[in-house]
Amino acid sequence: MVNFAFKLMLRDLRSGDILMLLMALIISVSTVTTISLFIDRLQLSFEQESANLLAADRLIRSDEAIPKNWQFKARELSLKQARRTSFGTMIFSGDALQLSQLSAVTDSYPLKGAYLVDDTLFARGQPSKQPPKKGEVWLSSRLASLLNVRIGEKVEVGELQLTVAKYLVRDPGSSSSAFAISPRAVMNIRDLPSTKVIIPGSRVRYSLLLAGEPVDLENFESWVVPELKEGQRWRTPVEKGERIGDTIVKAESFLLLAGILAVVMSGIAMALASTRFVKRHLVQVAVLKTLGATPKVLIKVFSIQFVILFFTGALLGLAVGWGGQGVISSLLSGLMSTSLPEPSVGRLWLGTITGLVSMVAFCLPMMLRLIKISPMSVLHPSRKLEKNSLALYSMGFIGIYGLMCIYTKGFLLPSIMTLAMLAIGILVSIVGWMVFKLGRSLTSGATSGWQIGFASLYRRLLPNLFQLLVFTLIIMLGLVLVGVKSSIVTEWQEQLPVDAPNHYLFNVQKDQIEQINASTENLRVLRSDWYPMVRGRVISVNGKSIQTLYPEGKGEPELYERELNLTWSHSLGKGNKLLSGDFSADGLSIEQRVAKAANLSLGDTLTLNIGGNIVSLPITSVRSVDWSSMQPNFYLILPKRVLDGYSANFVSSLFISNENAQPFYKSMSQHPTVSILNVGDILKQIQTVIEQLSEAIQLVLLCILIAGALVLIASVRATLEERLEEGALLRVLGAKKALVQQSLVVEFGALGLFSGLIAAAGAEACVYALQVFIFKSQASWHPLLWALGPLIGISIITAIGLFASRIVLKVPPMHLLRDF
Amino acid sequence: MAKRTAIKVSNLTHTVAANTGDLTILKGINLEIKEGESVAIVGSSGSGKSTLLGLLAGLDVNTSGEIVLYGQAFSSLDEEKRAIIRGEYVGFIFQSFHLLPSLQAIENVMLPAELKGDEGARKKAEELLDKVGLSHRLTHYPNQLSGGEQQRVAIARAFASSPKILFADEPTGNLDEANGKIIIKQLFELNKSQGTTLIMVTHDNELAKKCDRHMVMSEGSLVEK
Repeated sequence: MVNFAFKLMLRDLRSGDILMLLMALIISVSTVTTISLFIDRLQLSFEQESANLLAADRLIRSDEAIPKNWQFKARELSLKQARRTSFGTMIFSGDALQLSQLSAVTDSYPLKGAYLVDDTLFARGQPSKQPPKKGEVWLSSRLASLLNVRIGEKVEVGELQLTVAKYLVRDPGSSSSAFAISPRAVMNIRDLPSTKVIIPGSRVRYSLLLAGEPVDLENFESWVVPELKEGQRWRTPVEKGERIGDTIVKAESFLLLAGILAVVMSGIAMALASTRFVKRHLVQVAVLKTLGATPKVLIKVFSIQFVILFFTGALLGLAVGWGGQGVISSLLSGLMSTSLPEPSVGRLWLGTITGLVSMVAFCLPMMLRLIKISPMSVLHPSRKLEKNSLALYSMGFIGIYGLMCIYTKGFLLPSIMTLAMLAIGILVSIVGWMVFKLGRSLTSGATSGWQIGFASLYRRLLPNLFQLLVFTLIIMLGLVLVGVKSSIVTEWQEQLPVDAPNHYLFNVQKDQIEQINASTENLRVLRSDWYPMVRGRVISVNGKSIQTLYPEGKGEPELYERELNLTWSHSLGKGNKLLSGDFSADGLSIEQRVAKAANLSLGDTLTLNIGGNIVSLPITSVRSVDWSSMQPNFYLILPKRVLDGYSANFVSSLFISNENAQPFYKSMSQHPTVSILNVGDILKQIQTVIEQLSEAIQLVLLCILIAGALVLIASVRATLEERLEEGALLRVLGAKKALVQQSLVVEFGALGLFSGLIAAAGAEACVYALQVFIFKSQASWHPLLWALGPLIGISIITAIGLFASRIVLKVPPMHLLRDF
Repeated sequence: MAKRTAIKVSNLTHTVAANTGDLTILKGINLEIKEGESVAIVGSSGSGKSTLLGLLAGLDVNTSGEIVLYGQAFSSLDEEKRAIIRGEYVGFIFQSFHLLPSLQAIENVMLPAELKGDEGARKKAEELLDKVGLSHRLTHYPNQLSGGEQQRVAIARAFASSPKILFADEPTGNLDEANGKIIIKQLFELNKSQGTTLIMVTHDNELAKKCDRHMVMSEGSLVEK
C-alpha cells in the first residue's frame, strides 16, 4: 500500500497540485523557521550586547562584602567570576585633590565586553580585556586633567601610590552610574587593602559578576536569590524599564508579531492549496472508488501521502528556513557592530509544529472530506462535496489561534489579531457583496472590459468574496507590520535623535554662563536650558530620621543614599510628565520611580539638609521622567523661594559632534572649575542597538511581504481554471485580446482597490490596539497606511492577477478548451 | 446449461431531495440480467438512465427495493463492502472518459490492478493498450490524446480488472462518428472475448440495436423493447 500511495503521489507531482501543497508547506515551515531562528540569534546578540554593558551575564550588587560561600557555590557550578568594589574617594596628586568614583576590580574583570582606554587625553580609546595591573591606575581624561597628571606619573589613593597607566574612556558595567558627577578611576583589587581607604561604615558597593552556561546561571540564581538580604540585588542584562531593555522588549514583541503573521499567512497558503488539491482530486477519488478503492484503502493512501508530504515539506522548509536566516544575518552583518551568535538547533521545533498544525488544521479535514465523495459524482459531475466549509475553516482558525498562542506564550496578541481578522471577514462580506452587486447593476452587456469584469465579479460572488478576504487579510497583515514598524522606529528615533545631548556641563557658576553660551553659539552647538543646582540631602521622612529607618544604610533607597542635586523650575522640563498633584503648588515634585522605591506618595513630608539649613516640605506632585531624553533631569524639584538664598551652580546638556570636540574642549579649558561629563559612548551603544533593531525589523518585514506576495499568487492560481475557461470562451466568441485583458484588469483592480481600502481600515484599528495594549506607546494616525493600502491593492493584485492569468491571453483558445 | 443471473433488480425506487420537495427518479423497476448478456438502456435526458446505472453498479444506495449482484444484495452493504464488490466484479466506461490527468495512458490502465496489489499490472496494461491499438501511446498524458484515444484508454482500463460486468455510460457520447465506430467495435470485441456482461446507457439507437436486449427508460420506468 505504501508503495502504491508513493507511486500515486509521485505521478501526482507532475500535475502541480501536490507541488502547490508542498510549496505552501515549505513556505509555512521556512518562514516561521527563518523568523524564529533570526529572533533567537537577535536575542542572543542583544543579550551579548547588554551583557557587555553589564560586563557579565549576571551580577549581584551588595552594600556589604559578598559572602565567600556565594563565590564557592559559583565555582562549584563552573561559573566564571569577577569582583568589583566601587566607592567614592579622594585622589591626590601633589597639591591637587579630586573626589572620584573609584572601582577596584579583579584580574578577570570584565567577564563580558571590554574597557576602552587610550594613551591620549580625550581620545576615542582602544578596547582592553584586561584591567589595570597591580600598582597601576587608569584615570578618566577629566580626572587626569583636574589632577593635572599624565601617563607614567603617580597619584595617591589613601596610603598607596599608584602609577597612571592609561586614560579611561569607557568602564564596562558602570553604565547605570555614568551620570555620577565624580570622575572615574579604576585600579586592581589586589592593591585595595594597602590603600586602607575602606573602613567600617564606608559607603561601598560590592559586585560579584558571573558568566557561564544559562543552565548553570539559572541554578545559581535559584540558589542565591532566597539568600539575598536588603541592600542586595540580583541583576540580569536586560531588565524592563531600562533604556535598552525597553527597546529590546519592543523589538521582540514586533518580531513575535511578525512571526504570528507568518503563521497566519502560512495557514492561508495551506488552506488555499488544500482547497485546490481537493477540487482537482474530486474526480480522481470518485474514479478510484468506481475501480474498487474502498474508503479504508483511500484513508491509508491519503494518510501515507500526508505523512510523506509532511516530512518532505517540513525537512525542506527547515532547510530553507535555516538558509534564509543565514542570508538575513549575513545581509545584516555589515550593519551589526557585533556578529550574530549561531542560532540554536532547538528552535527548529517551532517551524516543524507550525507545518504540522497547518497540515492537520487545513489539509487533513479536506482530505477526509475528499474521501467521502460519492462515487456517483463520476456520473453526475454537478455533485459536490458536503457543504460544511464553515466548520472546516473554523477548525483551521482554531489551529492557527493555538499556534499563535504557543508562539507568543500568551493570549493577548493572538486574540487581538484573531478578532481583527474576524471583523475584517464580516466587513469584507458586507462591503464586497454590496459593491459587486452595485457594479453589476451599473454595467450590463459584454461590450467593454468594465462590463465583463464587473459581471465576473458578481457571477463568482462567493469565490470572489473569499478572494477579497484573502487579499484583504494579506494586505492588512503587511500594513500592520509597516505601521507598527514605522511607529516603533519613529519612537526610538524621537527618543534618541542623532543629535541627542552627549555631554553634560556641571558646576557652572552664574557669571560663567554668558561666556560658555558665547563659545557654544560660536561652535553652533545645540544646548538645553540651564538648570540651577543646589546640593542637599534627605535626612528624615514624615518626621522619622533616615538613620532610624535604615540603620547603617542597609537597604536604603537611592533617594536617601547620597547627596542629591536639587533644582527649581516654573515649568515641567522636556521629557517630564505630571502624573498626579499640582506642579505649581508650594511643595516638592518627585520623580515617580524614586518615589516608588522609597515608598513615598503625595502628602508625605521630606526634611532636607541644604547647606546646613533644615527645610521640611510636603510632596505636592509626582512626575514621570524620560531619562533617555538626555536632558538634565532631577529627582526632586523644590519651590524657587526655598532655594533662592543659596548659591547655585548650573547644569546643561549639549551635543558635541566629533568635529567640534577639540575646539569645544579647548574653549572649556578656560573654565577649569566646570565639570564636563561625556556620555557619548553609552549613547553610541544605545544608538547602535536601535539601528540594528530597525534594520532587522525592516528585513523581517521584507521577508513577510515576500511570503505575502507568494500567498497572493497562490490565491489567484486557485481560481485560474475558471478564468481560463471563461477567457478562452470569450476569445472563441471573438473577443479581442485587449478586451479579455481589460476585463481581467477591471476584475483584479476592483478586488485590489477594495481589499486595499478595507485592509487600511483594519490595519489602522490593529495598529491602534497593538500600540495601546502591546507596545504601551502613544496611539497615532497612520496616513501612510491609507495611501499604501489601495496602492498596493491595485498595483500588486492587478500585476499578480495578470501575471498568474497571462496564460489566458497567450494560449490559443482551442488548446484551453481541450483541457477541460 | 442455464446462465447465471448477473444482476437482479426488484421493485427498485429512488428518490432524491430537490428544492421543490422529494423527487422520485426511479419508480419500481424490475430487471434481471444474465451473465454474458449485453443490455442497452435508452431514453431521453433526465429520464433516470444514469441514476439506474449508478445504482446497479453500487455507486449509490437506492431508497427502496433490492439490487442483487452475483448473489449479493447491495442495499444492505456499506460503502466499504460495495467498493470491494466493485473492485472484483465491475468495470466502467464513462462519457467524459475520466482518465486521471496526471497519469500517463499506461498508468491509468494499471490503476485497477495496482489497487488490488497485482504484480503484473504493467504487462497486463501493455497488452490491453495493444488490443485497443494504442501501443504507441503508452506514455502519453490524457491531454496529449484525442477524444477517441482517451476513450480507448478508458476501455483498456475498464477491462484491466477482468470485470464480470461492464457498465458504460454514453461511451460514444463525446466522440465523432468515425471514432464512435472504432470504440464500439473494440468494446464489443473485448466484451465477447472476455465473456463480460455489458450494461450500456446510450442515446444512440444504432448502438442499442447491437446489444442483445434493448430497454427504454421513460419517466422513471423501464420498458423492454
